[in-house]
Amino acid sequence: MTDQLVRTAPPTDPEAGAKRTAKRRRLRLTGLVILGWVAMFALWEYGSWWFGSRLLPRPLEVFQAGVEIVESGNFVTDFSASVLKTFAGFAVAAAVGAPIGYLMGRYNYWRAFFHDGVTIAGTIPAIVYAVMSLIAFGLSNLGPILAVALVSAPYIALNVAEGIRGVDKSLVTMSEAFGRTPQQIRREVLVPTIVPFVFAAIRMCFAVAWKVEALTEVFGGRNGVGFQIRTEYQLYDIAAVLAWMFLFIVFMLIIERLVLAKSEARLLAWRPQERSSAL
Amino acid sequence: MAVLTIKNLAKTFNVGTPRASRVLDDISFDVRGGTFVSIVGPSGCGKSTLLNIISGVEEHTSGDISLTSDSGGPARMGYVFQDPRLLPWRSVMKNMMYVQNDRSEATVGRCRKYLEMVGLTKNADFFPGQLSGGMQQRVGIARAFAVEPDLLLMDEPFSHLDAITARGLRAQLQDIWAQSKKTVVFVTHDVVEAVELSDRIIVLQPGGRIFEDITIDLPRPRRQTDPTVATLQAEVLGRLETMKAMARTPEAVA
Repeated sequence: MTDQLVRTAPPTDPEAGAKRTAKRRRLRLTGLVILGWVAMFALWEYGSWWFGSRLLPRPLEVFQAGVEIVESGNFVTDFSASVLKTFAGFAVAAAVGAPIGYLMGRYNYWRAFFHDGVTIAGTIPAIVYAVMSLIAFGLSNLGPILAVALVSAPYIALNVAEGIRGVDKSLVTMSEAFGRTPQQIRREVLVPTIVPFVFAAIRMCFAVAWKVEALTEVFGGRNGVGFQIRTEYQLYDIAAVLAWMFLFIVFMLIIERLVLAKSEARLLAWRPQERSSAL
Repeated sequence: MAVLTIKNLAKTFNVGTPRASRVLDDISFDVRGGTFVSIVGPSGCGKSTLLNIISGVEEHTSGDISLTSDSGGPARMGYVFQDPRLLPWRSVMKNMMYVQNDRSEATVGRCRKYLEMVGLTKNADFFPGQLSGGMQQRVGIARAFAVEPDLLLMDEPFSHLDAITARGLRAQLQDIWAQSKKTVVFVTHDVVEAVELSDRIIVLQPGGRIFEDITIDLPRPRRQTDPTVATLQAEVLGRLETMKAMARTPEAVA
């Protein structure tokens, strides 16, 4: 007699199984994030002990300096100044970069006209824009705004152009066959196609725009986070310099996690990767 | 009354260049309201180009096309493509509504009705990416019927599907058509499919001319397993073989 191997699948509820797997995955990811932070602070603490707290203040000293900054009221004034300048610069970049990107993506003639200029503009180091803006506008708020706009506009233009070029022509043909107007096709086909590219541009731009904005303020600002970092540096208060930097990072994380990630998940809910991460 | 009338239509690509090629030549026929007409022929004979010209997506080089609407207003067309061509970022229901001219209750109700007819009522809020290929094509069919077209154009809508799914969808299409009695121009390279679905088959030959116009006078609903359908399919296939043999001797076609 031969042995018969019979395997019966265990009785499971597929939906409950998927939820359990997703929960386990979430817990594992959260654990890794916490572990990453703990490792970073441990390394920092060790570095402070090695270099001395005058050169590299301990995490607790930086935290205390941060609390003092927040309590002093400077935080709100300087932070809002920096935020406003960054957003204003970004708005100018979007107003200029998006139409250029649209033209580059839609028409080969305009692509030929803009391509090299936009590529060169994107490769110029941010510090050059910061210096040029200060020369042009002196210590006024317009310097950082212009620097942010000059740095961000090429990114926005190139991403929007790529998005437009990636439009599925068969969807445009379908729309035309059903008698949709050019406005409807722009709204329902072109715009949703470029949304993922716009998000990519925003992420890239914000990361760079903040740095340029702060850098411009360090060189020649009268307010803002960069101005405060320069002041604290002149006083050789490294804990305060790092505290300003960390407040800056916290704000960036809030923008990233609460604003960008949430709106991306909502607007791109149709993509399989967004749906699976929402489980 | 004829919904679609085509007279001496011709299409040449790359006109005025050394690469000029005529894909449709002296095409004339009309389609009466409420009939199901198939256009069959080998690959490259201009079937899809003819459909694109009728829909207005492509221009023709010479000849006339006229479309008549029952309502007296401009004629409306529906289109079912080889692939579903649904907007991936819109739900099934929003895809249906995208091609509608208004957002009235009646229009929403009509979209729901056709979704129900293709068995996708429960999937109205799904994104296309959450549906199988066959389900997506069913949405494409429901979308085209839901615009209440004077003329419905279908370009090999089942060619990308597996045999079993295609068979199910053909049966479903026959049921919907029997209820709606829309005027349909259906392009396919599958003669068996054409005989099962059509009142009339127009055979195009290589070079884009009409080879034959065949009336299919069989009771509905038809199924491929029905002996009378199978006999007629064999007969039409035989005529196509004759056409291919003639095409191999160009002077015979001329």
